[in-house]
Parts: sequence; structure tokens; C-alpha cells
Amino acid sequence: MDVLFSVISIQTFWKILLFLHFAVAVALLAAITLQAAAVLLPAPQAAGGPIGPFRPLLSAPSATLIVILYVVQALLGAWVYVKYRTYVRIPMEGLRHWWTVGAFELKEHVVTMGLALLPAYWFFWREPSSGDHATIRKWITVFLAFTVWYSLAVGHVANDFRGVGS
Amino acid sequence: MTQTLDISERVAHLERARAATAAAPARTTTARSGKLETFVITFGIAYAILYTLFERWNWPLFTYHPAVNHLDLFRAPGVPEDGPPMFWYGWVVLSGIAAAVVGTIATAVPKQWLPRATVFFCVLAALWPILYALGLYIDQEASFNAEFLRSVWTPAIPALVGAAAVTYWASPQGAQHIWTGWLLIMPIGGLAILGYSLLTYFTR
Repeated sequence: MDVLFSVISIQTFWKILLFLHFAVAVALLAAITLQAAAVLLPAPQAAGGPIGPFRPLLSAPSATLIVILYVVQALLGAWVYVKYRTYVRIPMEGLRHWWTVGAFELKEHVVTMGLALLPAYWFFWREPSSGDHATIRKWITVFLAFTVWYSLAVGHVANDFRGVGS
Repeated sequence: MTQTLDISERVAHLERARAATAAAPARTTTARSGKLETFVITFGIAYAILYTLFERWNWPLFTYHPAVNHLDLFRAPGVPEDGPPMFWYGWVVLSGIAAAVVGTIATAVPKQWLPRATVFFCVLAALWPILYALGLYIDQEASFNAEFLRSVWTPAIPALVGAAAVTYWASPQGAQHIWTGWLLIMPIGGLAILGYSLLTYFTR
């Protein structure tokens, strides 16, 4: 790390890390939203119909890719969290931004619950065409999409308080 | 004619032998897949329950002090000069280890018992905080001294009895039907409890 910090400043390092965290978040958000939309949409029509042509595109992201992105994102978040706890949260409390602090605390738990479901999510998506576990597969996907959306929204608010470009 | 019958019998015998050889790895794969299914489902359910418990009781495996880059085993709030302690990492890791142990044990439990055992533990996990919250409410509202209701152990017995009763009366088909459903019920329930504990931030 000392070699790295001789090239870039510590502040730049954390900003790059935070930006990387944001970039992976966007990729994950796109993938999981697409998959959630695919499972929520009605079954494909035999031919034609308004959703027919988009259906193959909607089922494109694989569960394995989403699991990898989710884990990488959680690890990046866990790393950035160190800086949040010392550099962001303390002034946030000082300025009485209680809603942001509370929402970020909840984000920790929301992400953790999402992580807990990843093995089951991956297992249920091994055979997406199978009728077994179709309902739970659908709702776990929707739940994971919710965790990603919530985390991105709250993370964005915290970043606006003290982060990249704030 | 006799020769033809003899050949077809031999062919049939060969095919049966081939099918039996192919079925053995297939059975192993199915068994492995069944164990994996049991593990991932039980892991997800157990993790949600255990994480909620460890967070509420503040039982981390370790505590990290980011300001001084120092790690302590278990809960160690440290001195104020060391800056704020971080427990989250410790809760996540401890819940992961504990849930993996529960998931591994579940793979050894006979398949017909598992859904019922899950009903018992999930109902217990739900009833305990509900009865505890009820106790707190009674203590707050009652005109008599109900201080004993403030103990987290007081609702343990009624929660255990309630969970046992629900498990006893739950049909095997019903328990099997809801088994994977606990994967969503427990994380959402856990988030409701954890979210409620953060209410002070939103009401200041």
C-alpha cells in the first residue's frame, strides 16, 4: 500500500475505490433489474405479442454473473465502509443528518440479508427453465433487486454528503 | 428364430447392465444435488435468524477499530481515543460460520424431518421477539409491577411451547410446502426487527 500511496494520494485512492464501488453497483443494478423484470413479466407468447421480441434479451444476465457482481460489490462496500465510519458518519451525526445515518445503518442489514440468500438464489437459477422452485426463484430475485436498488439509493445520498464530486 | 430371440435377449441384458451402470452416478448426482439444496436453503434461513440475533445481542466474532487499524476478538468497544468501533464485520462473519454449521447439520437430518424442524425454529424465532415486545408493552401500560417482563428470557418458555404446538399441528405437506418460503419470510422479518431498532434515527 505504501508503494501505491507514493504514486497517488490517500484521498485519491479512496475516491477511486468509491468510484469503482459505484461502477460495479450500476452493472449489478442493470443485471439484477433485467433479471427481475424477466421473471415478473408474463410468460412468453407463442408468436408475436408486445413482449415476445424482448424476452430473450430480458433473460440474458446469468445468475452466476450476478452472484459474482454481488459478492465483489459487497467486498468493495465493506472496504469503503471503513472510510464511511470515520470520515463521513461522524460529521453526518454532527450535522444531525439522522435520516441518512439511519438509512445507511439499514443498508448494512439489507445487503447482509441479500448475501445470505445468494447461495439459494444461485441454486434455484441452475435450471431456469425448470418448474421446480419457480415461485421462490422469482421472489428471491425480486428481493435481491430490492436490496441492490435500496443500497444504491442510500449509498448515493451518503456520497452526496461526502464522497466523489461532493 | 431361436437364434434371433437369443440375440435380442442378450442385447436386452446388455442394455439393462448399461442402464444400471448409468443410473449409479445419476443417483449420486441427485443425492449430492439434494444435499446442496438442503444446505443452501437452510443456510439462507439460518443466516437471517442468526444475523438478527447477533446484531440485537451485539455478539460480533471480532471488533475492528478503523481509526487505529486494530482488530480485537469478540466485542471490544475500546477506549474513546481509539475512535468508533465497527461490529458489523464481526456479525457477518460469525453469522456465516454459524449458518454454515447449521446447514451442514441439516444435510445429515432425514429429509422428512427437515421441513418440520424448520417450522419449529422459524416459529420460535418469530414468536420470541413478538412475545418480548408484548411483554414490554404490558410492563409500560400495566398499573402493577411487571418488571420481570423486561427480561429477554421471560418469553422463552411461551415461545418454545407455541413453536412446539405449531410444529405438532402443522401437516407434513404444509411444512414441506412452506419450506422454501422461509427463505423470504425470515430475512424480511429480520429486516423488520432491525429496522424497528433503528427507529430512533428517524424520529429525532
